[in-house]
Amino acid sequence: MQSLAEEALRTAAISKTYPDGTQALRGIDFRLAKGEVHGLLGENGAGKTTLSKILSGILRPTSGEIFIRGQKAEARHPKEALKLGVGMVHQHFTLVRDFTAFENILLGTRVNPKGSGAARARQEILDLSKQVGLSVHLDTKIEDLALGAQQRVEILKMLYRKVDVLILDEPTSSLTATETTELFKAIRKLKEEGKSAIFITHKLNEVLEICDQITVLRHGEVSGRTEASKADRKMLARMMVGRDVVFDLVRGPSRPAEPILEVKDLMVKGNRGEEAVKGISFEVRKGEIFGVAGVEGNGQTELEEALCGIRKPSRGTIRLAGADITTLNTGQIRKHSVGLIPEDRRQMGLVLDMTVAENSILGREWEVRFRGRGVALAWVKIRAHASRLIKSFEILVKGPDSPAKSMSGGNQQKVVVSRELADEPDFVMAAQPTRGLDVGATDYIRRLLLKTRDSGKAVLLLSADLDEVLQLSDVIGVMYEGKLIEVGPAEQMTRHRVGLLMGGVRE
Amino acid sequence: MKAAIPSGASGILSSLAESVFAAGVGFLASGILLAVLGKDPIKAFYYLFEGSFGNVTNITITLAYASPLILTALTFAIGVRAGLFNIGAEGTFYVGAAAAVAASFVHLPFGLGLLLILIAAGAAGAAWSVPAYLLKSYRGVHEVISTIMMNNIALFAMQFVVLDYLLDPTRSDKSSSIPIDARFPVLISPNLSYAIFFAILVCLGVYYYLWQTPGGYELRAVGLNPDASKFSGVNPRKPMLYAFLLGGITAGLGGAVEVAGTFTPFAIYTGLSNLVNFGFNGLAVALIGRNHPLACVVAGVFFGALQAGASSVQILGISFEIVEVVEGMIVFAVAAPQLYHMVRSRMK
Repeated sequence: MQSLAEEALRTAAISKTYPDGTQALRGIDFRLAKGEVHGLLGENGAGKTTLSKILSGILRPTSGEIFIRGQKAEARHPKEALKLGVGMVHQHFTLVRDFTAFENILLGTRVNPKGSGAARARQEILDLSKQVGLSVHLDTKIEDLALGAQQRVEILKMLYRKVDVLILDEPTSSLTATETTELFKAIRKLKEEGKSAIFITHKLNEVLEICDQITVLRHGEVSGRTEASKADRKMLARMMVGRDVVFDLVRGPSRPAEPILEVKDLMVKGNRGEEAVKGISFEVRKGEIFGVAGVEGNGQTELEEALCGIRKPSRGTIRLAGADITTLNTGQIRKHSVGLIPEDRRQMGLVLDMTVAENSILGREWEVRFRGRGVALAWVKIRAHASRLIKSFEILVKGPDSPAKSMSGGNQQKVVVSRELADEPDFVMAAQPTRGLDVGATDYIRRLLLKTRDSGKAVLLLSADLDEVLQLSDVIGVMYEGKLIEVGPAEQMTRHRVGLLMGGVRE
Repeated sequence: MKAAIPSGASGILSSLAESVFAAGVGFLASGILLAVLGKDPIKAFYYLFEGSFGNVTNITITLAYASPLILTALTFAIGVRAGLFNIGAEGTFYVGAAAAVAASFVHLPFGLGLLLILIAAGAAGAAWSVPAYLLKSYRGVHEVISTIMMNNIALFAMQFVVLDYLLDPTRSDKSSSIPIDARFPVLISPNLSYAIFFAILVCLGVYYYLWQTPGGYELRAVGLNPDASKFSGVNPRKPMLYAFLLGGITAGLGGAVEVAGTFTPFAIYTGLSNLVNFGFNGLAVALIGRNHPLACVVAGVFFGALQAGASSVQILGISFEIVEVVEGMIVFAVAAPQLYHMVRSRMK
């Protein structure tokens, strides 16, 4: 099945058992050919990250062998892996924010960015960047670079170290659509240079677009291997989750009623004092999902924070069920019947060091139903409440006393969503509700939002995932540079049109 | 109270094992030091134990040392739970002690004098912690800076207060003593009073507040993740204020326990010499007790034992300074794991 092309890297029966007994990998055989882009696909917790960490020398396998260019290799440290030509670009970049791109690339080499070899190194990096089409302002500090540019620095850093095998861990998770296109172009160039890449992701479309070979992991084992040209989304999804996933959610006709959220002429300042939301107006009606599409960084986060009372609008009004909530704080807004699902679940939605039970009452700790005598919290009742949520929202966890940080991303999000939706609020705001989640959890949460809408509640969906917005929304608005540049019923907003609008193009 | 520790319950055994191991390392390292100095470590540790737990009198001395330390430890522990590094217990301890002596000037019958002393010390401690809260909350001043400065202000302000307002009319080296009927009643020997039970009671109260009330839940949630707390609707200032106030109250009560509950002088020396270091030692006690209010009781007794046993070790001809070094090594070893956990979680 595999082509006979020269072998770049191969693993034989790699297994990894963590000290706490978790079996992350079980006998993984993986082969990467020279000049190949190999997709490593799998749900969260399938073992993708563990495998890549073993290949890049961060972790050591419990058993099994790694061969690089046919030679048995044993990297005990990322430095040794680099020497063997294997380098990793992490999902969360590992750059020094106060250093320039140039300084970051040279960091850890023997070249002093202000010393004698600097000029030659600079030329080498510029040549490399031209060669693969990755343009970077070398003298800009990392903190002033966009995420896409930071990633280019990471890749150049690896290329400068003469890496043959580039491991890219979820490389598109923080990129805009344009940046993703550029990244793919660069990957194709690298391929032409004879370099190989391992592309770790859970996004099916991307893996089909950029990869030659695909290996799918599930529960630490290889659950499928295929050539990309012979694969389709359905087949890959089945390999990933072990069952058929319905991609086309059935969205019944909406029965919109009166508006519940009315936003008028809203202006919100961003962190640097710039106008991030520039005077937008819209309303969300009961019984419908209002989807806000748009590339991230176009004011969605500021809009989200203004609606939640975390950021004070500089102008305009927000009315919820007729009441003016523009200047209320989060605690006061939560006294209305609302469910707020934040964009950043780990930072805003959960206290990771607390248990599931403790997290299940976050923001509801004063409610009488969780109290015993007097002011005391009744942990018996709280545990029972958490157990109910675990059951009815199909949360995969040992029990209410498990710490939130021990759970996978999908189940963490389910804890947040269950808490926010359990009381059947009249208005739900869901910001990036499925970002980073595996196929199963994504499917589940989307169904839940549809159910909420079908029961006559209003949902405001803020999402950078175009498929999600198109799939769920009854009304679609597109945010671009702080403005809602177009709002229309879903039937009129085709994928093509929304895609163009997200890039600021009006037909 | 149902035994319900929602978070961290599973970790208790492993942290206990860690502490015992760390103590072993501390004893080993300081034992090597003693051996190098030509002293018999086994004998020294025996005398250390004998001096702290060897007989009833020594046990009472140990517990008497522990009582105020347990209370100052709570100040730091509560702070950490709320995400604060509150090291203001030292100064607040002086303020509480001075308030206690001042309150004893009012003579009340039926032990009400003691009640007034405790109220005054707690209130003074709470009030003394407010500036650090205001500076942090409204001006962004880090609490380490402000509480260090408040400690220095307290040191000199309370010396002034003792000299000018509280001085014993018959002696110039100390304040007036608290009258017998306003002191904590004696428990076994004159060394030990009911103050130890009072300290334990306060620990139970703090534990109850932190783990069994909505306010305490919010305090811990803010300490672990202020962003999520804010998004859930909590104004982080409120738990922060409570953490400062509660910490002030416990340190203030610590001062009252020292002057109204431990044997002689039941007063404050003019240089505050009988008050110094209780606050900072409380910080070490909190670290040993992993910032858990109930574990602080055990840690306080451990620390009290080291202090009580020190004089016995000197009998062996080991100088006081060496005894202090030995104790410092042991305390450092036991506190190190928690210090490591805290620093690591801050670096994340």
